[in-house]
Amino acid sequence: MKRLLVLGAALALSVASAQMQGNPNLRGEITVWSWDIAAKALEANIPGFNKLFPNVKVTVLDIGNQATYDRGLAGCAAGGGDLPDVYSIENNEAEVFWARFPNCFTDMNTLQPAASTLRNQFPAFKWTELTVGNKVFAMPWDSGPVVMFYRRDIYSQAGVNPATIRTWDDFIAAGRRIAQATNNRVKVGVIANGQDDEWFRMLANQNGCFYFNNEANAVTVNQPGCVTALETVKKLIDAGVVMQGGWNEQIQAFKAGTVATSMFGAWYEGTIRSNAPDQSGKWGVYPMPASRAGGVRAANLGGSALAIPASSRNKEAAWAFVRYALGTTEGQVTMLKEFGLVPSLLAATRDPYVAQPQPYWGNQRIWQVILGTLGNVPAARGTQFFQEARAIMVKTQADYVAGRFPNAKAALDAAAQQISQATGLPIAR
Amino acid sequence: MKRSATPYLFLSPYLAVFALFWAWPILESLLLSFQNTRVFPPVWNLSVNWGRILGDAAFWDALRNTVLILVIQVPIMLALATVLAVALNSQLLRARGFFRFAFFAPVVVGAVAYSAVFRLLFNQNGAVNAALGLDLNWIFDPVGAMAVIITTLTWRWTGYNAIIILAGLQSIPKDIYEAAEIDGASPWQQFWRITVPSLRPVLLFCLVLSIIGTLQLFTEPWLITNGGPGTATTTLGVYLYRQGFQNINFGYASTIAYAITLLALVFSIIQLRLFGRES
Repeated sequence: MKRLLVLGAALALSVASAQMQGNPNLRGEITVWSWDIAAKALEANIPGFNKLFPNVKVTVLDIGNQATYDRGLAGCAAGGGDLPDVYSIENNEAEVFWARFPNCFTDMNTLQPAASTLRNQFPAFKWTELTVGNKVFAMPWDSGPVVMFYRRDIYSQAGVNPATIRTWDDFIAAGRRIAQATNNRVKVGVIANGQDDEWFRMLANQNGCFYFNNEANAVTVNQPGCVTALETVKKLIDAGVVMQGGWNEQIQAFKAGTVATSMFGAWYEGTIRSNAPDQSGKWGVYPMPASRAGGVRAANLGGSALAIPASSRNKEAAWAFVRYALGTTEGQVTMLKEFGLVPSLLAATRDPYVAQPQPYWGNQRIWQVILGTLGNVPAARGTQFFQEARAIMVKTQADYVAGRFPNAKAALDAAAQQISQATGLPIAR
Repeated sequence: MKRSATPYLFLSPYLAVFALFWAWPILESLLLSFQNTRVFPPVWNLSVNWGRILGDAAFWDALRNTVLILVIQVPIMLALATVLAVALNSQLLRARGFFRFAFFAPVVVGAVAYSAVFRLLFNQNGAVNAALGLDLNWIFDPVGAMAVIITTLTWRWTGYNAIIILAGLQSIPKDIYEAAEIDGASPWQQFWRITVPSLRPVLLFCLVLSIIGTLQLFTEPWLITNGGPGTATTTLGVYLYRQGFQNINFGYASTIAYAITLLALVFSIIQLRLFGRES
């Protein structure tokens, strides 16, 4: 028994810290394209990387999220010119690249060591959108487990205990109490309506439903889980407990203290912390409410990956950097600490840092709460048609909220029809 | 060298550029519109795009928005431009050169710059709300967003059209007005009976240009409202861009481009039939 324990401890240790061997003989210069906080996070990894690979010069260019996508697309369409050595891509948007330009990126199974040897170090769902057949076109980076970021002071002023918010109906009730306690000055949340459908996506994912099935061969947006999700979105808006607004409005609202909760992928942590440093200690997190008592309280929104364009002249150095930044505990924890990027590397999720109380968040161990939901996230796949489906859904949600459909099922039947027509995929029965 | 070859030799630089950058893309996009470009490599499929466009609710939305801008913005702009041109042509006006430049100036300003300025002006805490005493979230309201686009377009292009119309005004012989004055016609009558009819070819020219420009409209909705909220200001140009460069479906984007071309053709024929009988 004792022996087993020792063995178990040794095993746990080997998993607990994924490390990497350096190589001073590897030489070259590589360029990395990324955006905003993600670019800064990669940049923060250069010193650590250069300790292991002193002769590789890494340059990270922050060229913006949309420009990264647009220029990558233009480069691939032009047959692979003007691309960097390491390219950042959002999981949701990734499949369109593999489908339209299968020769634009390096199959990471042809590199040394092959990507397939790293497979078990990440959750399976992170690979789905990055793999085509037995080819791997990108390595998983961060993920976006959904969580509720809330203002402790406002909740307690209204006498709301977040531990008792278990369903969306509880959340609406909490919203009413907050409105009452603040003379209608503070709303319980912000929902994008007309600009985005992110609430619908998070709630649908929670209910095990998405635009498409996980085989990416049928439209499933009118299935029961999605219908419930859309009904809940309207219920929240109709109850008058949330305000409507996009990305910028939400930031303005929490800075001004007129919203008590933000629901987003956990990468939003860095956005709150850096935009409202004066609210330190006033914030906390709790898991998202379920659509019914005892239901799933987890979802995922966002998450990215790194790919190596086939045109790179320094694939070996690029691969070393990708493996260091994403495949080592050191690399992933650096990005979590400084910029709140949630690691998808399993070893990093067990790093001691995760268990530390966070002063900004009222000394709550928020990363434990957040990463604790990761195992319950139902799989969902963006597919190569993600942007087309999203554009249709944004409008459908706005029309349904405005009362242009008799019920959510009718709205989603119409959306399914349009998505099917736009993508050529059949509607699932 | 044969004499007949000489002109073609002189033309050849232009013909080469034309063939490479105009004729080939025009032909290529026609071919693309008959291919399924959602797979790699693209495959021939005569109906996948043309069959889709007629039943595509988003395409009809974009068309409706474009036509809405067309029927509201173009007449307002041309009426304003005509009035402005008459004013700029007036003998009573001092510093005419300065005013002509001032009204033409918006065309010279970069689109990105003035779009950013209009976004700020129509911000919920912006100057427009402050001046009118309103609290309207222009950019995020379907009607408000459309109003902003129409206002911006009018600001940008009225002066440009006024200059063209001004050139037309100056080509009207003065003796017609003198004769009318002797016959006792009031300035108002002169405007409606002489100026407007004489301007018809110029106005028709401005109308055709404006309609084709509106059918291709992309810059302002893309930069100011990003086609939103929802699809409230998504024009045909924005929809084409989304299909081509966001969904990476060049086949369908080409189909939309050809649909716009066909529409421009139909509009031009209608105008020539209605207004262009004599010229």
